Amino acid sequence: MSSEQESGLFHPRPRELVVRDLVHRARRRLEGMSDTALEDVLEDALWHERKRLGRGSADDPEHPLLDTLAAALVRGTREQRIDAALSLVAVWGDEIHGRFDPRVYRVATRVLPTAVTALLSRRPRRLRDWRPDHLQPNARVVVRGELEWARELSKEATLILAPTHVSNLDSPLIGLALYLAQLPPFVYGAGLNLFSNPVVGWWMNRLGAYTVDRTKRAALYKETLKDYSIRALTTRHHSLFFPGGTRARSGEIERKLKKGLLGTGIVAWQEMLAAGRPDSEVYVVPCTLSMTLVLEAATLIEDHLAEAGKSRYIITDDEFAQPRRLAAFANRVLDLDDAVVMRFGRPLDVLGNPVARDPEERRAQAERRRGYVCGPDGKVEWDDQRDHTYTLRLADALCDAYVADSEALPTNVAAYAAWRCIAEQTGSNDPFKVVRTPIEKRRITPQRYLVELSATLDRLRDEASQGRGHVDELRGTADDVLATALDRFGRYHRSRALVRRGDELVVEDPKLCLYYRNRLTWLDRAPRARPLGESK
Amino acid sequence: MKVGILGGGRWGQALARLVMAAGHEPLIAYTGKKPPHILPSTNVPPKASEQCDLLLVATSASEVRNAIRLSKPGPRNRVVVAGRGLEPGSAKWLTDVVLEECDCLRVGALAGPAPVEEILNGGLCAGVIASRYEDVRHLLTTALHSNRYRVYESEDLGGVQLTGATVPVLATLIGVARSLRGAGVGIHAMVLSRGLEEAGRLALAMGFDPMTFVGLAGVGDLVAAQALPGHPSYQAGEALAKGDRSQGPEALARALVRLASAKRVELPLIGALVAIYDGMDPLEAVQLLMARAPTREHQR
Repeated sequence: MSSEQESGLFHPRPRELVVRDLVHRARRRLEGMSDTALEDVLEDALWHERKRLGRGSADDPEHPLLDTLAAALVRGTREQRIDAALSLVAVWGDEIHGRFDPRVYRVATRVLPTAVTALLSRRPRRLRDWRPDHLQPNARVVVRGELEWARELSKEATLILAPTHVSNLDSPLIGLALYLAQLPPFVYGAGLNLFSNPVVGWWMNRLGAYTVDRTKRAALYKETLKDYSIRALTTRHHSLFFPGGTRARSGEIERKLKKGLLGTGIVAWQEMLAAGRPDSEVYVVPCTLSMTLVLEAATLIEDHLAEAGKSRYIITDDEFAQPRRLAAFANRVLDLDDAVVMRFGRPLDVLGNPVARDPEERRAQAERRRGYVCGPDGKVEWDDQRDHTYTLRLADALCDAYVADSEALPTNVAAYAAWRCIAEQTGSNDPFKVVRTPIEKRRITPQRYLVELSATLDRLRDEASQGRGHVDELRGTADDVLATALDRFGRYHRSRALVRRGDELVVEDPKLCLYYRNRLTWLDRAPRARPLGESK
Repeated sequence: MKVGILGGGRWGQALARLVMAAGHEPLIAYTGKKPPHILPSTNVPPKASEQCDLLLVATSASEVRNAIRLSKPGPRNRVVVAGRGLEPGSAKWLTDVVLEECDCLRVGALAGPAPVEEILNGGLCAGVIASRYEDVRHLLTTALHSNRYRVYESEDLGGVQLTGATVPVLATLIGVARSLRGAGVGIHAMVLSRGLEEAGRLALAMGFDPMTFVGLAGVGDLVAAQALPGHPSYQAGEALAKGDRSQGPEALARALVRLASAKRVELPLIGALVAIYDGMDPLEAVQLLMARAPTREHQR
């Protein structure tokens, strides 16, 4: 059976059915609440939505629904309150649900890889310089790791792809990688703001994207999103979400993950177990993206360092929104061999345990796994608190996998060594102090620098031999790595993280140096000493 | 409900009595030749894991790993360690040892005063069950809570285990302090309260709840250690004061100092106990402690 036939995306259900199911799930949850808890949830929804709509248009269709909800909260019965809330859920459900179209997907898989590859390729200045390999996708995206395994698992189970999040370019790059890996299409949540462009929105909606409006902060909306994710998984839609929630502002590999969507995997698995489905397994595939240069690096690190960093959860004015910057980045960076390295990690189950490669062993694992959620009679025992604690384990396992699968690139290593040198010259490890250090303390002698760089390379190679990180892109001596890094730093950013000036190396932009260095901060932390989910 | 108890010693038997007092059926898994008197038991430990959802580990800290290896708990089991401290040698939390040795994920720790003979003779007592899993706490409470033994619940698994590791060390320190020539209740009170303060500091630095130390697992257990005639930790302190360094919670004290050093927390009292084990005269250790610069009572 082809992966297309296996995927739920190719068996779409009528839209009304999907929305009705979301409303049914919300009703079950709301009806199970005490009067006080119900009131809290509805007041929270009303408050957040009123606040949000205060900034929006007055003719928004949600206004009358909120008025009804407000009235029900003041003088309605419990049933009226629930009904009013469910009307909101129905509107949200309709907005969230994507419009995947198998025909569009088939056309797109013929057209888009070439288009994305063209974007990744440096465009020749003259037509006569053009060569066919400019449009060879395989030559542009480095995809490594457990692809074969993921492909095999996609035929017998539902997959959650959980990548690290570096840049807004991640989604198209992952899409391309999935296509190249002959993996089936995945549904994924895309910010509502990305749908504002009608052309992009039309394509995304029909290629598996569902809508996530991050300006909606109400708990009831978040629960609806989770219900949508559970529903997608139980109907065999492989699903992609970034567990970090947003692009890593500091440049670090994710250390804290959002548990909301991640936790929908274990619920979906139990629903399928309870239904006696033979294909009930849900597996999580970690995916680590490493980029030699990051399009939005300057904005992201600025946001990280700014006090208001946390409040700018949604950045709409970064380099991704500037076509000229995007074009410059594509032209100067994305056609490099080490521009983007994507590594698929070892699949995990929804409790964070590694999945066996051997099918027989996998079946035995699945049988044992039931014991974590089923009673002696083999029936699922529902327990949200237990499932949340299991999800903490999964989050820990993913964070470990991100480090284990990360690719150290010359820019990261060069920045790491440079940062150590200037921190030493500043006499502080406090990033806020080091980024403000004057230029004279940002000059490094090549001899001193190469000692630090060589030591860093040795440490990375040693860690890689123990299963933490990969060094496939660190070829040659410290001099070679430095030369590559200096070339990369000079390609795109307006000021450079590290540059050679005469006999010295200079950290021209300490913030960028911090950003690229942060990718390797895991080197400064000991490996996990306690079992998964147990570290406080 | 059938409750498995790993370990047929006096503590295992006391727990079995408490299980019966709560109206449930214990099954003791023992490894020696002699079965526990009267109580239901088996010398095939995996039977306990097969027949009981809840397993209580009632062995010494050094035997926990072996008990788990023998009984082989599975995903369906909930395992509660009813012992104190860290594993000697590895200095690992006992629940971590359980997680390392089997497929079970739902673990917890039972702590608090454990006057074994009193419990066996029908005395009243109380304990605290700590687990990240609500169903483990609930199951243990159902299994043990009765009019003879009250069970309180806590989510602070790390804090309860840290407290369990600290109590024998503090009890030994009190034993040392009380046995010094000319010592009175003043030094006793000082060691007790300052010991709790520095343990609370460590708990806070490790992300645990310092209030756990003023609960059953901390103060409750410490009071029992001092009041109980012949408590091993207190006796070890008395022996230390006389120069006998062969007994007591030396490994625990060293492990706590290591933990504190990693978190940059100062533990003057526990550090002094380590110094005594390293050969320092107890009186000199006390003098050094008293010569420390004045400071705030709560350094948090």
